[in-house]
Amino acid sequence: MAQQENGRLSSEDTMSVRTLGSQFDEESSFGSDSEINGFPSLRRTDKYGFIGGAQQYSAESAQDVPLEVLRHREVKWLDMLNHWDKWISKRFKKVRLRCQKGIPPSLRGRAWLYLSGGKVKREQNPGKFEELDSMDGDPKWVDVIERDLHRQFPFHEMFVSRGGHGQQDLFRVLKAYTLYRPDEGYCQAQAPIAAVLLMHMPAEEAIQLDGEILNALLKRVCPPAYRHLEKHKIEPILYMTEWFMCAFSRTLPWASVLRVWDMFLCDGVKIIFRVGLVLLKCMLGSREKLKACPGQYETMELLRALEQRYMQEAFLVQQILELPISARDVEREHRMQLKRWRKTHGELSYKSPPRMHGAQAIMSAEPHTRQDLRQKPTIIVQYPLPSDTKSEFARVKKRSTIRKAPNLTFDVPNPYALPTDPKPAPLTNQTHETASNNQSKHPPPSLQQSHLTTPKQTPSSDPPASVVPPQPSPNLSRTPPPPQPSPKPKPAHVTEIPRSSNPAVTVQPLPLPKDSSNTNNSAHLIDPPPTTDSTPLLPDVAPVNGNSAAAPTVPGLRNSFESVGSEDTYL
Amino acid sequence: MQKEHLFKVLVIGDLGVGKTSIIKRYVHQIFSQHYRATIGVDFALKVLHWDSQTVVRLQLWDIAGQERYGNMTRVYYREAVGALIVFDVTRASTFDAVLKWKDDLDLKVTLSNGKPVPAVLLANKSDQSREGLRSQIPKLDTFCKENGFVGWFETSAKDNTNIEAAAKCLVEHILAYEENITNNTDPDVVALPGYNNNTKERVRTRCVTCSKF
Repeated sequence: MAQQENGRLSSEDTMSVRTLGSQFDEESSFGSDSEINGFPSLRRTDKYGFIGGAQQYSAESAQDVPLEVLRHREVKWLDMLNHWDKWISKRFKKVRLRCQKGIPPSLRGRAWLYLSGGKVKREQNPGKFEELDSMDGDPKWVDVIERDLHRQFPFHEMFVSRGGHGQQDLFRVLKAYTLYRPDEGYCQAQAPIAAVLLMHMPAEEAIQLDGEILNALLKRVCPPAYRHLEKHKIEPILYMTEWFMCAFSRTLPWASVLRVWDMFLCDGVKIIFRVGLVLLKCMLGSREKLKACPGQYETMELLRALEQRYMQEAFLVQQILELPISARDVEREHRMQLKRWRKTHGELSYKSPPRMHGAQAIMSAEPHTRQDLRQKPTIIVQYPLPSDTKSEFARVKKRSTIRKAPNLTFDVPNPYALPTDPKPAPLTNQTHETASNNQSKHPPPSLQQSHLTTPKQTPSSDPPASVVPPQPSPNLSRTPPPPQPSPKPKPAHVTEIPRSSNPAVTVQPLPLPKDSSNTNNSAHLIDPPPTTDSTPLLPDVAPVNGNSAAAPTVPGLRNSFESVGSEDTYL
Repeated sequence: MQKEHLFKVLVIGDLGVGKTSIIKRYVHQIFSQHYRATIGVDFALKVLHWDSQTVVRLQLWDIAGQERYGNMTRVYYREAVGALIVFDVTRASTFDAVLKWKDDLDLKVTLSNGKPVPAVLLANKSDQSREGLRSQIPKLDTFCKENGFVGWFETSAKDNTNIEAAAKCLVEHILAYEENITNNTDPDVVALPGYNNNTKERVRTRCVTCSKF
């Protein structure tokens, strides 16, 4: 299965980098040097957009989620996002559980925005980014940021070309941040983070303190590893700086990064500690392993070359959830280490911004209105819901004894169905109709609307809750969002379908991403570089994924990969 | 009998001057435009067959260049016996920062006799210096003498210029110091582990340095 997937990836789902790089600009870092550098110019992108490097997709490092389950999860997530405040305040455990299982790739961008509190922040500070974006940055920071732009994810297609849209956007975000928090300015570790999501990172002293906390927790979790590090005078900042400052975004295989971030944004910083502890425990947990690295240098080398099997998505998530370290443990250790720190180093010189303590804490700390939480989709697809249009929240409340929502798998047809896919044919037609109806009423909204460029819009003019804005767009610089149309005549029954594509195009159902989790790449799928001449984005012949078609027995399936236990016992 | 030495060598300098590129070139004989910015610290090991009797293992510590990691360098510098300080010939500001790095180094680590660790200055990206800091180059001899560098080299990680030579120069100085130490040690005296022979000396040097400021 895995191999098949790989085969498919390289043949259909991908775009050659040459197309991207060379047509984007002549200065492409991939241009003339690519041969010299040993990169064959016909590198293929993986499903996350990587063209090489250690974090490129490999079937072994990732978990495969069947399509039915993914669709099922998307429906659940859309409902959660629709009633976000209720879910967070009343059914947070369920939200957590769903984060632990992994957020569906098509909704990840939006879910992260909600989990991190960015949604409310953005609503309450309309135009803030635009304001910062239009200001000139401090030349000191601008210079430093510019030196780093091409050095973040050099193997990601978004960041591959010098001055390409990925690097431009990264610059704007980082520069805006230095203006937003002039006291903090730019720290190199922000860049990999901002390349995925903009957020507050700990200051340098804080990272050392985090190191001490990690060390103290390690003493409890895995004494042999602790003693070994102690014996060889390996201070935490020698191995954990990059882990923590970049929230593992440069360390783990990409599938695992996303899962860790799903949990991190939901449950806060304890997840980062747990990941660190799991890795240390796995790498240094047994006598044989410690024998193999007798010195300081050997040990540090070992910790820089983490074994793939320990970072494999399913394994890692399981280990993280099983590790008995709670948020309270982290808090307690934080207080103790802070006390020690003050004794030895004096008062901390930084005023660190509050640490991420999870979506629930963020929600309760930030006054918000329902209006702030309203989803503001840019693409509208009407879609008849098979049974009821009531939210899962309402439904589940009624039947509170049912732990799992009834299996909707067969009620929810695949919205990404292929033209050649016979099953959901009638629905496809309806989608077609409604989509074109919509189109005739409103001009097609922006293809890509990133939260960075959200135009100021009056909330009242928004469509109720209908569509999925795609993941943060890599190319906001190229598609300035047009003013939002206000679809006044709102349809009676509108349900969201996670699809991130332009209505103008979606009259044809979007080709099914060949990997079940491929939708993550929506940005790349639907928004090719403007000059791409060859690669058809909607390939005509796209055979149905045999794997998912051959897997209709959902209960069995669920067991096989919903490996996440029903809850995280160490809260 | 073969002698084996293990030396910890720091590679420091401003952000983006090419520290990682120099190390990758030196250790793995490769060059790429696609290195990621170093966050924290990175490591590499180079084994040199110095002569028929001597093997030198160089632990190269690649230290993140951004200024704000500054207060973490104390941990990174510990027990280093040599340093390559790098600047970018196309950017004057990185040259201005060289002394800042040198001071930081001397402040946070010294040899067992209290002397500063040998440091070699690398003027990197020489392949790109059409004009740049060219005018500075002749002055570097004096600059090095005045500021306690044991030597300087115009290097290019891209073209593989002078990197081996710079490393060789550094190792020579480290070895010379090592021999000096061994020769001066009375063979009848056994140094107990944990006892620092040079404590007094170091204290004295520190005081001298302090009084200078």
